Amino acid sequence: MERAAGGVSYQRFPRVRIRELKDDYAKFELRDTDASMANALRRVMIAEVPTVAIDLVEIEVNSSVLNDEFIAHRLGLIPLTSAAAMAMRFSRDCDACDGDGSCEYCSVEFHLAARATDSDQTLEVTSNDLRSTDPKKSCKGILIVKLRRGQELRLRAIARKGIGKDHAKWSPAATVTFMYEPEIRINEELMETLTLEEKRNLVESSPTKVFNIDPNTQQVVVEDAEAYTYDDEVIKKVDAMGKPGLIEINAKEDSFIFTVETTGAITAYELIMNAITVLRQKLDAVRLQDDDADLGELGAHLVGG
Amino acid sequence: MTVAAAVDDDMERTEEEEAPAAKDPNASLPSPTYRSLAAPVTKPVDKFALLPAFLKVRGLVKEHIDSFNYFITKGIRNIVKANNRIEARNNPSIFLRYNSVRVGVPSVQVQYIAEKITPHFCRLSDRTYSAPVLADIEYTVGKQYELKRKPNFIIGYLPIMLRSHACVLNGKDEAELARYGECPLDPGGYFIVKGTEKVILIQEQLSKNRIIIDTDSKGRVIASVTSSTHEIKSKTVIFMEKEKIYLQLNQFTKPIPIIVVMKAMGMESDQEVAQMVGRDPRYGDLLYPSIQECAFERIYTQKLALQYMDDKVMYPGAGNQKEGRSKSILRDVFVAHVPVESGNFRPKCIYTAVMLRRMMDAILNADTFDDKDYVGNKRLELSGQLISLLFEDLFKTMNSNAVELMNKTSEKIHSSPLDLSLHIKENIITHGLERAISTGNWDIKRFRMHRKGVSQVLSRLSYMASLGYMTRITPQFEKTRKTSGPRALQPSQCYSLGVEDLSLLSGEEIHASGSFLVMFNGLILGKHRQPQRFANAMRKLRRSGIVGEFVSIFVNEKQDGIRSFDDFLRDGLIEYLDVNEENNALLFRADSLLYLLVYAQRPLLTTKTIELVGYDKLGAGQNATVAVMSYSGYDIEDAIVMNKSSLDRGFGRCIAMKKYTVTKEKYEGGYSDRIVKPQRDKDGALLKQNMRALDEDGFAAPGLIIRNHDIYVNKQTPRNTKRDSGAHLTDRDYKDSPAVYKGVDGETTVVDRVMLCSDTDEKLIIKCIIRHTRRPEVGDKFSSRHGQKGVCGTIVQQEDFPFSERGICPDLIMNPHGFPRCKINLSKRFFQPYINNTSSRVKGYTGKMIELLGGKAGVSCGQFHYGSAFGEPSGNADKVEDISRTLVKHGFSYNGKDLLYSDCYFKTVPKSLFCLSGILGHPCQAYVFMGPIYYQKLKHMVLDKMHARASGPRVLLTRQPTEGRSRDGGLRLGEMERDCLIAYGASMLIFERLLISSDPYQVQVCRKCGLLGYYNHKLKASYCSMCKNGENMAKMRMPYACKLLFQELQAMNVVPRLKLTEG
Repeated sequence: MERAAGGVSYQRFPRVRIRELKDDYAKFELRDTDASMANALRRVMIAEVPTVAIDLVEIEVNSSVLNDEFIAHRLGLIPLTSAAAMAMRFSRDCDACDGDGSCEYCSVEFHLAARATDSDQTLEVTSNDLRSTDPKKSCKGILIVKLRRGQELRLRAIARKGIGKDHAKWSPAATVTFMYEPEIRINEELMETLTLEEKRNLVESSPTKVFNIDPNTQQVVVEDAEAYTYDDEVIKKVDAMGKPGLIEINAKEDSFIFTVETTGAITAYELIMNAITVLRQKLDAVRLQDDDADLGELGAHLVGG
Repeated sequence: MTVAAAVDDDMERTEEEEAPAAKDPNASLPSPTYRSLAAPVTKPVDKFALLPAFLKVRGLVKEHIDSFNYFITKGIRNIVKANNRIEARNNPSIFLRYNSVRVGVPSVQVQYIAEKITPHFCRLSDRTYSAPVLADIEYTVGKQYELKRKPNFIIGYLPIMLRSHACVLNGKDEAELARYGECPLDPGGYFIVKGTEKVILIQEQLSKNRIIIDTDSKGRVIASVTSSTHEIKSKTVIFMEKEKIYLQLNQFTKPIPIIVVMKAMGMESDQEVAQMVGRDPRYGDLLYPSIQECAFERIYTQKLALQYMDDKVMYPGAGNQKEGRSKSILRDVFVAHVPVESGNFRPKCIYTAVMLRRMMDAILNADTFDDKDYVGNKRLELSGQLISLLFEDLFKTMNSNAVELMNKTSEKIHSSPLDLSLHIKENIITHGLERAISTGNWDIKRFRMHRKGVSQVLSRLSYMASLGYMTRITPQFEKTRKTSGPRALQPSQCYSLGVEDLSLLSGEEIHASGSFLVMFNGLILGKHRQPQRFANAMRKLRRSGIVGEFVSIFVNEKQDGIRSFDDFLRDGLIEYLDVNEENNALLFRADSLLYLLVYAQRPLLTTKTIELVGYDKLGAGQNATVAVMSYSGYDIEDAIVMNKSSLDRGFGRCIAMKKYTVTKEKYEGGYSDRIVKPQRDKDGALLKQNMRALDEDGFAAPGLIIRNHDIYVNKQTPRNTKRDSGAHLTDRDYKDSPAVYKGVDGETTVVDRVMLCSDTDEKLIIKCIIRHTRRPEVGDKFSSRHGQKGVCGTIVQQEDFPFSERGICPDLIMNPHGFPRCKINLSKRFFQPYINNTSSRVKGYTGKMIELLGGKAGVSCGQFHYGSAFGEPSGNADKVEDISRTLVKHGFSYNGKDLLYSDCYFKTVPKSLFCLSGILGHPCQAYVFMGPIYYQKLKHMVLDKMHARASGPRVLLTRQPTEGRSRDGGLRLGEMERDCLIAYGASMLIFERLLISSDPYQVQVCRKCGLLGYYNHKLKASYCSMCKNGENMAKMRMPYACKLLFQELQAMNVVPRLKLTEG
């Protein structure tokens, strides 16, 4: 960041290593950065990556047991495939329409018509019954309402682009969380002084499977450092055994392990990439501000470093 | 052994011994296997199996239904039988007789045709769910007194208790109930009067027919008996003053020395009296002053005694003159429940002696005083008994009215013979019962009963609330008094309440040591020398089913007597109580206003009671993931912080449905209101915007959005309702009188349903139900099940919320300061000294914490956990240790705490990391207790309460702003606020608030006479009507209330004069 105000540059070059990547799940490491970066990424993923969700419902016939608002609320929460959401416009600043949300740039129209005919079975109306003009498909059938014989549901719904900050239905993230990577150090010398029984007790003291005993060397080894939940149980055990320093666990302040799950509206990969794009756009907005412009508190932070 | 212990002991044994016997139908009592079957149930868990079995037989509201059933099957017959013949006073051969009586099928009369009705029909159409009381009557007709019979003659309509024998729902299965529009889980036991559901609350009162030894306000020892029989209800008091014993009775002007009373009842020998009370010289000493006083009065014989008493009678004129007034009082009023058969006063003498004896026992030994709060000395009155009293009174009124009419008509000469049955007015009973149940005022002059609030509207906020109403008991003492006695926990309150009454033997052997009186429902039956053996024998009889299963038998060593109390179970007079009903107000349904929770859930942590009651089937809350921590500062004073995303996803969302009723009035000229379609102009556009919610029929259309000031029924009223010509009315003859919806601006409400029905006067009733879906907002009230309520303090974005490494983000944050004030916790702490085990509760885990742990373990292992209070030792609740083990197995900390990431700085926590906040993503400094807790939304919502106004309506008289939200009132700057402003010195503000902002007014004051004048607008000059000129007038401003005060003073001949100086 080129700023007139002097000071050390805090610029760092974060590294990302993807450990696991599925359609709706991702696990990756973020290294060489600090909590502000990691948290910003998390916050953007939850609240600011745009998706498409049903925002306006016109009900023609509803003789189901659930009332209109109830069904409208349920429709809104259905995750719609939103891969194209980044390229869409928000209906509030769409030029092609008057903001009624029925144009191709900012909205998608859905129709739903279901009627339980004579069969004795209840009819389950799911998200698969939503028919759109645009052949975008929603995910696997999510139950909307069950209809008894003779009941009918007919409606028109308009999906719009939005972000999770406005309503949770637009949030593509089911779970976004990170943890500080733990750094576990075992003092081998001290460990040698323990009997096998004591070692077993030590390993058992952790509620999660962090340590194990090597069947060959009968040494305590770290099996899965990330299983550690910062619960301090092992440390307490070590202190109770009268061997402080036997095991030391510290959190690495510059490396994070992210777990991302999506609702299915977009893939986990898209979520991460879009989040980075959005975060960039936000930073650009800050950077492109005129230097003299009133940045409020933010300005003071930037200058003060 | 105390009495309470005796009762408990007995109960205990009943449970232990009878239950296994009941399981084996072949186990006859005297068989040798009896012992093994009678082996105590060792494990408390096994014992618990008895409870559902008991409830299956008894139900939770069965006592109401049983009591009502007793009334409609037996009670009503007894009442009618006791008063079955009425005759004209001047001619006894003109008479009417009720031969039998019964309660018919619930129905209404529509144009002389009985139409069957269902409870739900009554709820919807604002009717009373009642059935005709049918009697077979016979009466004389004409001069020849021919007998005429009328079977199934309706003497009145009786409101019917739901699920009683007379109810259509009785014995129906779930599918049939559903067809009737009833919930299968609804317990019944209430009435439907004019469309509202009314419960007659159980009334608690002091035992009838039982001797209560107590001290009065003057410190005198008194023995009192409230006697109650079918014929009469009376109170007899015997008290001791200045060592002498007197009888006090309403009918006597002065207290009567007790020995005089004994003599008047034929016990002329002082020795016999003394022997009856007891031969012990101590009793003799206490009795001596009374005997002496009687001797001073020179009363030695029954005749003298009666003469003495006759002088003190309150109303000497009335009564049987032949035998003397006082004798009839002694026979009918004095301890009225002890019968006098063929002039034999002996049982009454014995009873009086017992009273004296017990009084003296109390004087000699203070331990034998009775405790009025002791549950054994209390009786509960149920709806059947209360209705029976009312019915008896109304039936007698109806009959006496009929007698009046018979007298009147029998004197006149009629061309055609008169039908006596026409004198029986069914309205007296119908309206009397309906009025009493719908207002709750039980005013029965005949029985000197004036009670208010006997019936209450059944709350349908939640299933629990409804059940709570059915099992509620109103205490007999006034609630306003701060007496601690009746409020304190009575050890005898554990388990149950019983019933009872007293008569006897001869002379001194009554109290001979080692012999015990046998009493049955308050009457002394006889005596027994070996009380324990007798009691055991009685219990055996009970077990073999010869004596009713709910008869309680105990040895009363304190009072030296055995009593067997018959609870009249089989007749439905059983009285029992469950005091542990929790009554949290939740969302379920109501009549004119009902709340529905959108996504109701079953609690993760249940209790055995919840399962018994069926609350898990009708949940009224949601399992919220709660983090116990401080966050944002908007969580002080029990406020909670809510996650906006949770609210978006439907947490705490509810539907409020409100009923608006419009009546299509009918007027005398044969005219009525009319409902017209919305008026449109030529182009078909609505004339008025507020008609947009209307359908073409003039009613609001279901499904349409209705906003503030919109019309929901487009009604018109004739301008002249009195015009008698039958002329056809044109559109001009009607004026608009639409029903306008008053809602909150900016809220979207929807017309849910429109129902049309006719009321009892055949008028059309339009009921519009308007629905509003509400999401929680700041200020809405929520509560956990531990009495811990709090308002929503702020709503925070999900990304700002703390989160754990697993990605769990709480729905709600609760401040840990709430724990110590959690009411259930406090009561637990109170009970802890009484629990004799090392249960985890004693270690400081309280209900809410256990719920959190149990819920967390429950979601991780997929199993519902139990948290019944004090249930751990008996196995009815999961132990905290076991729950912790489950938590550890699923990778949680044993103590339920999680590491959350929040906004605190990482660097300050060098050693370990805890809990992350969303704002900065740093770990919290402490582990946070987090897990699911069942939260309920309470009915107090900001939307219904918020209120503010600028200028607005004013009161006509004082011209000050109106008061209250419903009248769009102003917010008062009251005395205390005024004091603050004075103290602060903001004089201009006070001036502005009090004199200008409220009711400013300009007056014309005469400087000369100081009185108020007026301003003549024609002459444009002010004028003083006192001085008859307008010369010295001054204008000034004052509050209108001040001007009003001056004028009112003048009206009372007080002259207020204003002295003005130039300002």
